[in-house]
Amino acid sequence: MSEDKKIENPLADIDQIIHAPARLRILMMLYVVESLDYVFLKNQTGLSWGNLSTHLGKLEDAGYITVIKGYQGKKPQSQIQLTNSGRNAFKSYKNTLQQILDDLPE
Amino acid sequence: MTEKMSLKELERNMYRNSIQDGILDIQIGCMLLMFVLPLYLNDSLGDFWSSMVFLPLWFLVLFGLRVYRKKIIQPRIGNIQYGAFRKKRLKRMNIIILVINAIALILGILSFLQFKNVSGWVISARFSIILLIGFSLAGYMLDFPRLYLYGILISAAPITGEYLYQNFGFSHHGFPATFGFLSGVLIITGLIILVRLLQKHPPQDKEVLA
Repeated sequence: MSEDKKIENPLADIDQIIHAPARLRILMMLYVVESLDYVFLKNQTGLSWGNLSTHLGKLEDAGYITVIKGYQGKKPQSQIQLTNSGRNAFKSYKNTLQQILDDLPE
Repeated sequence: MTEKMSLKELERNMYRNSIQDGILDIQIGCMLLMFVLPLYLNDSLGDFWSSMVFLPLWFLVLFGLRVYRKKIIQPRIGNIQYGAFRKKRLKRMNIIILVINAIALILGILSFLQFKNVSGWVISARFSIILLIGFSLAGYMLDFPRLYLYGILISAAPITGEYLYQNFGFSHHGFPATFGFLSGVLIITGLIILVRLLQKHPPQDKEVLA
């Protein structure tokens, strides 16, 4: 059954939470640093506050990122960090996608 | 391999975006002024005190720029905590800069002690080599390509100054002319980068998503 599904749709194994371009970009950025704040992420991705909030919410719900609330002086400054589960999911996504692309005929 | 490279490139771009605010250019420009301003007080205060007088001013400028970066620039461009690779690299750079400063200090003392026996060209050449090595290493470790250009320009300054002094009679081995000019160029470059950055990133009233 699983093999049939795989033949029908090779992307079935792909993590759809990560596969969206904006979320993939966010995870790629978080993968290479320790943490980022919202402003840096917004500037780098070019997303609107609303879009960024939606994507971060989905990633947080999936347990891929965690938001560490903090303050700089009196202003709130929360940092966003990739969780271990998010790091593993990203690695797995990368390997799966690589595998699918490698299996494509020339 | 390509993915590995692109992730590496992404990290480098993010790092560069977090430091390209013109502050380093302004800091280096102000540091070059330290080679110029004390020279005019040499006659009245002597070599040592003429430099010491400007040190508090130099630290005040550094402190001011640091506060400005933290209070004005960072809330606009955002905050990033670098990964282990970048942290290690920056730590290594600090050690290298310390070693270079120590070597420069030793060579400086030696030049000062032998000042009457050593020609101005030799002292200028030593100074140039130290500056070139220092700026090249800093450019490499900081991933800051502009520092290579600054290194070449600044390391040419002592030799050019000596040439101007010997051939055209410029004062103080030509230091005020060459270092003063470069200082102006660097400070203006830094200010242009800073103003552009501030225009591109208007202030955020509050952390909208928090």
